[in-house]
Amino acid sequence: MGRRDSSKVMTTTEAVQQFVHDGDTLIIGNYTESSPLALIFEVMRQKKKRMTLYSQSGNMDAELLVGGNCIDRMFSAFIHKWGGRSGGSMVARYQQSGKLEVEDYTNFTYSAMLAAGASGFSCLPVLPAIMDTDVFKKRSFMGDKKFGVITCPFTGKETPMVPAANPDICLVHVQRADKFGNAQHWGGLGSTVHACLASKKIIVSCEEIVDHEVIRSSPHHTIIPDFRVNAVVEEPWGAHPMDLPGYYSSDLNMLGTFSYYNAMDTGLANWTKEWVYDLPDRTSYLQHYIETYGNQMLERYRAKPYYSAPTNYGIANRSLWDGEGKSTGLNIDFETLEKLIIERGDLVNG
Amino acid sequence: MAKPYTKQELMIITVARQINDGDNCLLGIGLPTIAGAIAKHTKAPGARLMMESGIVDFDPLVPPMHVADACCTEGYAYAIDLFGMFTSITHCGFLDKAVLGVAQIDRFGNLNSSYKQTVDGEPERLTGAGGAPEFISYAKETILTLKGGEFVEKLPYLSSPGYFGGNEEREKTGRYPKGSGPSILISPDAMFKFDKDTKELYLFALAPGVSLDRVKSRIPWDLKVAEKLESFPVPTDEELTFLRRFSPRSCFSSVVAGELSVNAAIKRIADREAFLGKCREANSALGG
Repeated sequence: MGRRDSSKVMTTTEAVQQFVHDGDTLIIGNYTESSPLALIFEVMRQKKKRMTLYSQSGNMDAELLVGGNCIDRMFSAFIHKWGGRSGGSMVARYQQSGKLEVEDYTNFTYSAMLAAGASGFSCLPVLPAIMDTDVFKKRSFMGDKKFGVITCPFTGKETPMVPAANPDICLVHVQRADKFGNAQHWGGLGSTVHACLASKKIIVSCEEIVDHEVIRSSPHHTIIPDFRVNAVVEEPWGAHPMDLPGYYSSDLNMLGTFSYYNAMDTGLANWTKEWVYDLPDRTSYLQHYIETYGNQMLERYRAKPYYSAPTNYGIANRSLWDGEGKSTGLNIDFETLEKLIIERGDLVNG
Repeated sequence: MAKPYTKQELMIITVARQINDGDNCLLGIGLPTIAGAIAKHTKAPGARLMMESGIVDFDPLVPPMHVADACCTEGYAYAIDLFGMFTSITHCGFLDKAVLGVAQIDRFGNLNSSYKQTVDGEPERLTGAGGAPEFISYAKETILTLKGGEFVEKLPYLSSPGYFGGNEEREKTGRYPKGSGPSILISPDAMFKFDKDTKELYLFALAPGVSLDRVKSRIPWDLKVAEKLESFPVPTDEELTFLRRFSPRSCFSSVVAGELSVNAAIKRIADREAFLGKCREANSALGG
């Protein structure tokens, strides 16, 4: 699955140029906690168009990409109403005006489409209660293919099914990764693993690029293996103003501003001009933030450490040869072994 | 003499009283997480609180903003993913209680959080179904909270199954665990249960100072009322103190809480301006 001899590290601009295309089906790998916002800002700056979006949590990710006119169709399980109860959201406004088609699933059925896609199945059973809801009955662009029903070959029961989802490109932000793409994430897992593994291509952005040895000593945190990843970018505060365990909590100051602008029909355009389009990258975004609100404001949201207990992966013996150079099983040294091979082995060349 | 308490505090603590020690309890975002925290720190320290992102058996330190909030990851016992949360925990019968907020509810406990109808009959997007449909379907019991939501005669969209048309309709589908479904609805004004035979919602308790007429005026059908009305519980000082420390703004109405937060933000900005002013003065004094 590809040799592990070259780094996949590149800039956010390069990664988006190379792997995100007009008309692609794009999935946001993170579920409510964290968000690949540095990557999303770049997708907007590069004015990608006519994409289909999978966004489970309908948070800033969906607001920005929809408001940035990148998205024609969207798979959704939930929409955060940024403008409050009366102000609504960009997603709601675009949907209402017919500029955006939305197919509604529940958190579980959305997740199940990705689990199917990540497993190489064409479909997967979902919990039967869904058949009694309008989520099942009312359909948008997926039509007959939104849900199906089969008879279980073993129980004879009617079983609803969802089709597999295999998005073209997944954007995900994680705590750390190595240069090959082994990506580690911890905290609310949501549907992140399935979202990544169901996708054809993956761009990982991370707070820190770490040595490969760090990954090897903590494999329980690896959610995507290197052979599935196409690009790795290092973006400190890459999910700001959203949160990431161990790094920062939600920046309520910035989210408040975002929410305030978003309550107005034209509002988000002003916010994105200032914070997305007029800035070339995340470094200048952070500079602009510090100039506007001060460094203390950013520091208020930095996480204080709470370390996981070290995990002992140690083994009893790292070799079948003991400290004195003797085989633990045969109780002989290496020289004696080679003598024995001559004496007792089924030699083919001597 | 017990502490005085507000209507909002009473509602949250009443919800907290529904959670018992040892419960595996799923919390929706907002009021349910605050109630869960109170329960965990008072009468139910052994409750396993969980959120649908797969943060299981956690101990809320501050109120989360969303169901995977990084503020909830400092110390929790089980990291599962969302798929496993719904299948291995919920569908397999290990979820004792789900505590969920309501946007729209009908008389048989069916819920809508997907699309409202505008006065012109156009669909207007709400948040979407989220996790509620499967939780209310497969949790052994569901506690509903209604703060900003409403009662409607006919739901424009059924997101989450209650008892459908009532009587045995839910059970007859064969799709739901026996005894599952909404068991109680708690609002700031009143508490409701579902009739054990007809499954219709009925009033069984009024909050202090609330009249029956006031509750009825918000319900577009002829509300059934229990023969003997019960009272809301009386919050303990321990519950009130914990709530006030955990989420100070939750003790007020959303209008007053909003006003207090805005004033605090204005003060913070003014302090910063004053600080910058002093820096500028110092700079110019130095000829900078």
